[in-house]
Amino acid sequence: MMQKSSVIACLEKAWPVLVLVLPLLVAVVLADLYGSVLLKRTVTDALIKIVIVVGLYIFIGNTGIVSFGHIGFAGIAAYFATWMTCCAMMKPITMTGLPDFLRLETYSLWSTALVSVAAAGLAALLIGLVLMRLSGLAASISTLAALFIFHAVYANWDNVTMGRASIVGIPTYVTLWVGLGGAFLAIIAAYLYQISSYGLAARAARDDEVAAQAAGISLYWNRLIAFVISGMVVGLGGVLQVHFMGTISVNAFYLNLTFLTLAMLVVGGMRSLAGAVVGVVVLSTIADVFRRLEAGVDLGATRLSTPTGTQEMFLAALMLLILIFRKDGLMGRRELRLPRLRAGRARAAQ
Amino acid sequence: MTATATAGPERPRRLQAQGIHVAFGGIKALTGVDLTIRRGEVMGLIGPNGAGKTTLVNVLTGFQAPTEGRVLLEDRVLQGMKARDVARAGIARSFQAARLFRDMTVEENLVVAGLGTGLSRRQARERAHEIIDWIGCAPIAATICDSLSYGDERRISIARALAMGPSFALLDEPASGMNESECAALMQVISELPARFDCGVLLIEHNMTVIMGVCQRIHVLDGGRSLAEGTPDEVQANPAVRRAYLGEKADHTELVI
Amino acid sequence: MRNFMQVMVDAVALGSLLALVALAIGLVFGVMRLINFAQGDYITIGAYALVVPTASLTPALFIGALPVPLMVAGVLMVVVLLALATERVAFRPLRNSDPATLLISSFAVSYFLQHLVMLLHTGRPKSVGIGQALTTPIEILGLRVPGIQVVTMAVTAALLIALVLFLKRTPMGIQMRAAAENFQMARLLGVPANRVIAVAFVISGLLGGTVSLLLIVQTGTLDIRMGLMPVIFAFFATVIGGMGSLAGAALGGFLVGVASVLLQSYLPEGLRPFRDAFVFGLVIVILLVRPKGLIVIGAARERV
Repeated sequence: MMQKSSVIACLEKAWPVLVLVLPLLVAVVLADLYGSVLLKRTVTDALIKIVIVVGLYIFIGNTGIVSFGHIGFAGIAAYFATWMTCCAMMKPITMTGLPDFLRLETYSLWSTALVSVAAAGLAALLIGLVLMRLSGLAASISTLAALFIFHAVYANWDNVTMGRASIVGIPTYVTLWVGLGGAFLAIIAAYLYQISSYGLAARAARDDEVAAQAAGISLYWNRLIAFVISGMVVGLGGVLQVHFMGTISVNAFYLNLTFLTLAMLVVGGMRSLAGAVVGVVVLSTIADVFRRLEAGVDLGATRLSTPTGTQEMFLAALMLLILIFRKDGLMGRRELRLPRLRAGRARAAQ
Repeated sequence: MTATATAGPERPRRLQAQGIHVAFGGIKALTGVDLTIRRGEVMGLIGPNGAGKTTLVNVLTGFQAPTEGRVLLEDRVLQGMKARDVARAGIARSFQAARLFRDMTVEENLVVAGLGTGLSRRQARERAHEIIDWIGCAPIAATICDSLSYGDERRISIARALAMGPSFALLDEPASGMNESECAALMQVISELPARFDCGVLLIEHNMTVIMGVCQRIHVLDGGRSLAEGTPDEVQANPAVRRAYLGEKADHTELVI
Repeated sequence: MRNFMQVMVDAVALGSLLALVALAIGLVFGVMRLINFAQGDYITIGAYALVVPTASLTPALFIGALPVPLMVAGVLMVVVLLALATERVAFRPLRNSDPATLLISSFAVSYFLQHLVMLLHTGRPKSVGIGQALTTPIEILGLRVPGIQVVTMAVTAALLIALVLFLKRTPMGIQMRAAAENFQMARLLGVPANRVIAVAFVISGLLGGTVSLLLIVQTGTLDIRMGLMPVIFAFFATVIGGMGSLAGAALGGFLVGVASVLLQSYLPEGLRPFRDAFVFGLVIVILLVRPKGLIVIGAARERV
């Protein structure tokens, strides 16, 4: 009896993760078995977006501060991964500003991923040390300034990043399964953080800054911790992205990706981990439908296609509708829980 | 409840405000206020609206820097410290508006307060449960604070302050908006606090029944100045207090109501 | 010395342009706490209204074919109507949201408008020749100044004076200042919220349309991102000047313009490409040192 209830308790505790992870697993198995090449790529891309959006959620959801700067951390990690793995022949000539250990060497994918994520974390730490002193709108604005600084530097640092040009020849190892592994990691990291003391303290500061201080909570340190962890997870997303595409350019980590990932989080629900995942799934599905529509649909004799740009307009309109009519997103502020077991336990308690 | 009160000789015996002045621009909110709260007693802080009661609590808790004057916890200087460090030094407060962490459960609200004062997760949870059981809130422990009734919100806001295991708890109008039976329960809780938690209590309250019922001493503020201090009987008999509160035609029964 | 004067003329001209955009952003922020990123797309669409929507890279003129006064009026009207439409459809329903949500919503509006332009005109830059006579340099006190810079400064000065008169002298202007100071209180005192906000958007549209025309004469190029850089700089200019303060917005616009031209001219060669990074870094520094900007208005501290 004891054992059974502890199993249930365990299940209940892990449920918010399982309920997100298992459907993803099923989706990946199905896509792997029956999907076309294009569908596999679409699903992989969505899994990478899950990593980024869940990373965003770790900061935005728990601290309530909207960050517009996190894609910069994805960019920093992605460029690190590029420097460490790409084009051993071209690198010494095209990226002369790199230090020798990057310019002349090529590293294994594992160590590259670790170092790149650590670099994103370090960047988040340094920027967070400064920015987390701010609250509310000032904090949001300064994260946006941080994104612009990242872009201004990387777009003009010609002998290191090749400026606005694309770098090609980056090894592509990210398959469906690697993407799934990344999504698992991100979701588990987010959940562990969320239930930790730090996550709890960050959410208290989010709900009421004044009361949190009166309860001995440091706004600064708790936000900084959230900022660094989320910067690292977003950085992981950047690494996966670059090893999925095989190319990188600085504009791939700028306003469009910022907007797209924020839209995913807003649509799913900024205050819920499940919301982050659901938002990615919903918007990726919509994007896929539009891709097919833009390619054209045969209706008997005529072939209809929607003009380029409708997808983005629809996305923006959807985001506005969600902001207006369902501010907390599709998932609201809740996680998915085990309804039946909870009810059972409540009865037992009575 | 022994686990909650970390009793010992090192617990500070008094919280003092000495010669506190606070000015907002040209407006003087507090002028030369002296106040001492002793461990083991409930002290009332009363005065008309705008007398500076909440400002004084803000000064004591580090939310407002005094223009002049000192705040001492035993020998330790508190003014100039950040609000959160004052909280960590063992001074808890509740707010006029409950200011709960509204997207979190009742239990989490209390756990956060424990964590904030340096407890481990397990200790914070144990303390939270002791307090929840004591004030009879076990049935709503897992409720999200967003959906609490008004009376419950107020109770949880006090419980959260207690979850910090404070040496001194400053309660800002805990009874406002409560009905008579809720008030009675609250009085019971407050009067038990000093012994149960080995702490001192400063109680701001407009409800004179509550003030007269639970306080050993009462400090009266008016227009930012100390008007009087003494036992409930002394304060009630004080002509200056009666004037400030009730105008010239004051009589005793009105004051009690 | 002459070189320095030349640099200063450039600096003031750019500062003027940014001040116009910053004023538009500051005015709307004042009345509804919205940082309107779509201001950049107002500018873009105002410029694109000059030409017929086609895929051609040298499109036929549309409003641009009209005589100058009508052309100016036409562009201003298009942008004003656009600003009002975005207010009515997107921002009004969100009026009581927190500033961060409003900022996100303005990103969404901007994204929408940007892709609308792309849909109608394709995403490729186009050339359009309007007011080329203005680009010929004129000689002032021994300095050769492009006519358009003189026009920009003159227009900015005129609009600033007009705006100040409007805010100080007209009932609507006074109500708008009251609303910027304390919106709830102004509303209680009978200031019509919808009208005040609509007028703020009208003015932001007028300013946006003016910037469209000035930019297009300067560059002769249509680009769907032509409004982006001005709006980013102007946005940070309002932050530096003090959110909600119109004097601060104008001042911030000038400061950012002057700072970026000076950095461009006097930074060491190797650092010059990173000029923008320094300007944005300045924003963060200002936020840390003076979180409310250089000119603080109605500093409302939260009551505990």
